[in-house]
Amino acid sequence: MSGYRLRKGKEILFILAISILTFVGILPLFHIIVTVFMNGLPVILERGFTFLTGTLGEGGIGPAIAGTFILIFLSSLIGLPVALLVGIYAYEYPDSKIGRATKTLLQIMLEFPTILVGVFAMSVIAIPMGTYSAFAGAFALAIILMPYVAVYTQEAMRQIPFTYREASFGLGLSRMKVIFKILVPLAKRGILTGVLIGMAKVAGETAPLLFTAGGLYQSYPTSITQPVGAVPLLIYTLVQSPSKADHAMAWGASLVLLLIFLLIFIPVRLSLREVKL
Amino acid sequence: MTSIKTSLHFFFSRCNLRKSTGKVDLFKVVTVPAVIFVFLLFAWMLGIYFYNALPAFIREGLSIYFENVWQAAEEASNEYYGLASAIWGTVYTSLIAIIIALPISIAYSIFVVDYVPKRVKNILIIVSDMMAGLPTIIYGIWGAFVLVPFLQKYIMMPLYKHLSFIPIFSSPPITGYSYFSAGVLLGIMVTPFASAIIREAYQMIPFTYREAISSIGSTRYEATKVLLGYIKPAIFSGLILAFGRAVGETVAVSLVIGNTFNLSIGLFSPGYTISSLIANQFGNAFIYEHMLPVLYAGGLALFIIGLIVNVSGLYLLKRWEEIVRI
Repeated sequence: MSGYRLRKGKEILFILAISILTFVGILPLFHIIVTVFMNGLPVILERGFTFLTGTLGEGGIGPAIAGTFILIFLSSLIGLPVALLVGIYAYEYPDSKIGRATKTLLQIMLEFPTILVGVFAMSVIAIPMGTYSAFAGAFALAIILMPYVAVYTQEAMRQIPFTYREASFGLGLSRMKVIFKILVPLAKRGILTGVLIGMAKVAGETAPLLFTAGGLYQSYPTSITQPVGAVPLLIYTLVQSPSKADHAMAWGASLVLLLIFLLIFIPVRLSLREVKL
Repeated sequence: MTSIKTSLHFFFSRCNLRKSTGKVDLFKVVTVPAVIFVFLLFAWMLGIYFYNALPAFIREGLSIYFENVWQAAEEASNEYYGLASAIWGTVYTSLIAIIIALPISIAYSIFVVDYVPKRVKNILIIVSDMMAGLPTIIYGIWGAFVLVPFLQKYIMMPLYKHLSFIPIFSSPPITGYSYFSAGVLLGIMVTPFASAIIREAYQMIPFTYREAISSIGSTRYEATKVLLGYIKPAIFSGLILAFGRAVGETVAVSLVIGNTFNLSIGLFSPGYTISSLIANQFGNAFIYEHMLPVLYAGGLALFIIGLIVNVSGLYLLKRWEEIVRI
């Protein structure tokens, strides 16, 4: 009987332990969200609309927000075509040598330290151009975006029932037509999800921009060959400053960044069963 | 010219662009260049790091990886650099991170798969995914302004006061910016990655195993213990991949690690990691004559560590999945 009670006791301890550990594991997220809101909201409310549109001198982060959107747009422009084609290739040849190597390479790039991508983009674009630029930043971000979108594209295509393939080939269509006219449109929802996840990812990246984008906060960006700011980069700079006013700005900017992230992430996540970032 | 032509011809014939009918397969014409481009890009990256790190290897040899010195001098001949402290910091903080991630991610996986109703399960999975995707700079600002003061006051200080005879607790937590803070923050950041892999593996355990264990009258704790043994390889690869993530993390770490050239086992002393070293020093490396190649050499080390860690993690995971599927 005592053996039974010992086992029962262990059981209760075990359940207690894993619930507490799980709670501890997810607690930081809630604490982060609450802290960012509590520290960021007063800053934004106090400065009102100026915070979102004004330059840093006026107490706003307008140029940084503009920069972030420019970088997302440009990096998508560069990265998406390649990503889609590579993803489709990996879907079409899952068992060939090159196809398997492609899949492995994508997964390696997914896990790759982002700072290395930034330094690479600096070496091959920023240094030859002689200046930091939106283009160099976007190039670095495109390299980070690419594997996400490619992997999602491949997964989305794989979800299509095989019979559609058979039927399409049965009509005597070329491979080109089967893939791009029939299968890609069928998978467009999944592909779009991948695109949005890639964008959410690059919107929050800091390390690749450190030596490529340069930062521009006192005026709005005018050209892609000129330096550009970004919200995460601005936060990184402000946190390192000793002044309290800068820290307040950083919290405000963090709230904006958090909202941008949630705005992309939540709709995507609700429309999908699983998301891997 | 002709040699280019023949080599191109050879290349395209190898790519099987033509089908047996003699018609060009347009699909390959469109996709193959993109694939080649990505492979070349990766090789180009590796090449850039090798090429730019070369002067450092020529000047100081492989000892840059084993010495802990950082002499940035105006006189070029007095400059001397070693990356040992940064490499140590990278490994140390990442190890702390996975030590934290291990119990939490396993507990989370068991809790989510076995104990909660579907609705709560979905919420917990969304929460974990959100943690994985949250911009790292937000972890950074939270870490620097909230986590570090908290850890310093409630964990480091008491441990230092009472247990400072143990070597790892022996350094005084003056600012709180330390290996420990960085490790804890990294632990929080990489737990969701490990969780996702372990949870998936735990869910993949064939139902008959669960039935068999229950049928011999085990409690849930005993059953879980057996089942965890079954997914041990997946847990291992989840941790390796989490380690890989921790190794590459930059901005959040550089805000909490203290950025000091230091090679110490003391958890509470400040240090450097390779990525935070690059983030901090690259901006002014151009002033000095020999610093830049050393930073590239650090990048190369990070590149290779990342590659080895991630490839082995992915390989183990894949092999395990193949075994389970059969």
